[in-house]
Amino acid sequence: MLTVEGLSVRAEDLELVREVSFGIGPGERVGLIGESGSGKSLTALALMGLLPDGVTASGTARLGDRDLVGVPERRLKDLRGRTVSMVFQEPMTALNPLMRVGAQVAEVMTLHGVAKGRARERAAELLGRVRLPDPERIARSYPHQLSGGQRQRVMLAIALANEPDLLICDEPTTALDVTVQKQMLELIAEVAPALLFITHDLAVVASLCERVLVMYGGRVVESGPLREVFKHPRHRYTEGLLAASRLPPRGTRLATIPGAVPAAGRFPGGCVFRDRCAHATETCETAPDLTGPEEPTGPEEPTGPAELTGPEPRGDGHAFACWHPRG
Amino acid sequence: MIVYLLKRLAVLLASVAAAGVAVFAFMAVLPGDPAEIALGVNATPEAVAELRARFGTDRPPAAQFLDWFGGLAHGDFGTSYVTSSPIGPQIAERLGVTTVLVLGGMVVALIVAVPAGTFAAVHHRDPLGAAISAVSQVGIAIPAFLAGILLVFVFAVKAQALPSGGYVPIADDPAEWLRSLLLPWLSLGLVQGAVLTRYVRSAVLDVMREDYLRTARAKGRGRMGALWRHGLRNASIPVVTVLGLQLATLLIGAVVVERVFVIPGLGDLLLNGVAGRDLLLVQGVVMVLVAAVLLINFVVDVCYAVLDPRLRGAR
Repeated sequence: MLTVEGLSVRAEDLELVREVSFGIGPGERVGLIGESGSGKSLTALALMGLLPDGVTASGTARLGDRDLVGVPERRLKDLRGRTVSMVFQEPMTALNPLMRVGAQVAEVMTLHGVAKGRARERAAELLGRVRLPDPERIARSYPHQLSGGQRQRVMLAIALANEPDLLICDEPTTALDVTVQKQMLELIAEVAPALLFITHDLAVVASLCERVLVMYGGRVVESGPLREVFKHPRHRYTEGLLAASRLPPRGTRLATIPGAVPAAGRFPGGCVFRDRCAHATETCETAPDLTGPEEPTGPEEPTGPAELTGPEPRGDGHAFACWHPRG
Repeated sequence: MIVYLLKRLAVLLASVAAAGVAVFAFMAVLPGDPAEIALGVNATPEAVAELRARFGTDRPPAAQFLDWFGGLAHGDFGTSYVTSSPIGPQIAERLGVTTVLVLGGMVVALIVAVPAGTFAAVHHRDPLGAAISAVSQVGIAIPAFLAGILLVFVFAVKAQALPSGGYVPIADDPAEWLRSLLLPWLSLGLVQGAVLTRYVRSAVLDVMREDYLRTARAKGRGRMGALWRHGLRNASIPVVTVLGLQLATLLIGAVVVERVFVIPGLGDLLLNGVAGRDLLLVQGVVMVLVAAVLLINFVVDVCYAVLDPRLRGAR
């Protein structure tokens, strides 16, 4: 349903996201994980056509038969909020403080051709559907009268209003309390159509998604079914990420990935992770391809020596871009 | 909302009272006895004492104050020591002229600043947006009276299209009234408009960076549609603050502009009063100006409550 091929995002001469390719089937829930600064949010914003001024996307992204990248704003407007919706990270600032909540929910429907009265009725229904208590009252409230969790539910109601084919969530629970976070995730799991869920919280992905994409340095370094990637990570970055998220036995040190994510444009050439990787060798100065069925099928062979491209993909969609994979 | 308004109203009344005390006290400590001024240097002490008794200036200050301030409540500003005519009607007539002058200037400023500032914000990366900022910067540096003189030179002296000064009451001839006010409005409004343009620009720029504008675009609004529907009202809150301050500035600026264009407004009356040592007249005009500024602040507070629901519930 969603097919992304060779998506790159640039700001002037900096390449912030490079050649990202993936697909999401109807009803499929895909997690996009990685540390801050790995290009997750930019990837999502590029799909929505909401990149900040001066940042541009190239490549192709198709949702059904509609192009999402390189299309004039005029044509994208029609898709946003109707075919593809997005819930943002910060619920406290995402709603207009001067407008009643119900009107903000109804707006997304009237923008896409629903009559005013009908949209107002539906708004209250939707607020009930995202389990807000007393939806009629919430609809008449202003955002400052609601809690962060309630506001994020309102955002979800807005996103779901026109029954989109794809929902993109960019760390929607990061700013919420843990208990509220859990309810929110359950709700998303229940109501989401196809889902692209961005987070750095691996536990969240594990509870919600069927497939994961691991991003680092603006590239997808590993992708595959959730269980496969989490049980048998192949890329050394994924391995480090998983190790860091596990609680170690009492008395031992927390596992970390050495170093820090470099600033945009400061990633090393070749494998972007090689300056933080304990397994890096000279080979890693050449960029490894993402091998596996997810790779856009082309005639070119992997560039490295055959024994370094790892074993043949298993046919389950597990792909990785590493010269020295684990296992 | 009601509680908020009542509280603001109480603050307004209290500050007007405090201002009354301050204005009266300042005038009282100024040297110069009205009776001595009226009678000149050769007056006998008896004549001065008699006149003092007639003016009521021989009474204790507190009694004089209560008499004066109590009179204000029903529009009685007292009787001039110099001209022996009641002050209230004079002030009322002049206040009307000044109000029209100041509000007209503000309208000109808004007509200039809102489109120019919004355009400069939306196009802040383009040369044209930067050019608007630069022009408004120049405008800030020009005082209103200089703008007035320049406008007179261009439109009255060179083009002979508009009168260079004077004022025609609207009741006499509406068309001439408009023509006589056009240049004063422009000289007040263009300068304030330049200042306001910068505030509008920065308010719109701030709003453009807000998350809710991105939300609006994610709903399917275009850039301009999102700004129009969700941005302008939010941006108007800081602009209203500046507008209130500017109205106060305009009121004071009107004193000068009335001089340049020979308009019989409050400023003109104030200057006449000072020149004629008409203490009670000066006291009355200053009180009216101070009260007007306080009233503007009250109106600004009311505007906040109308614009921003967050202010309505609390405080």
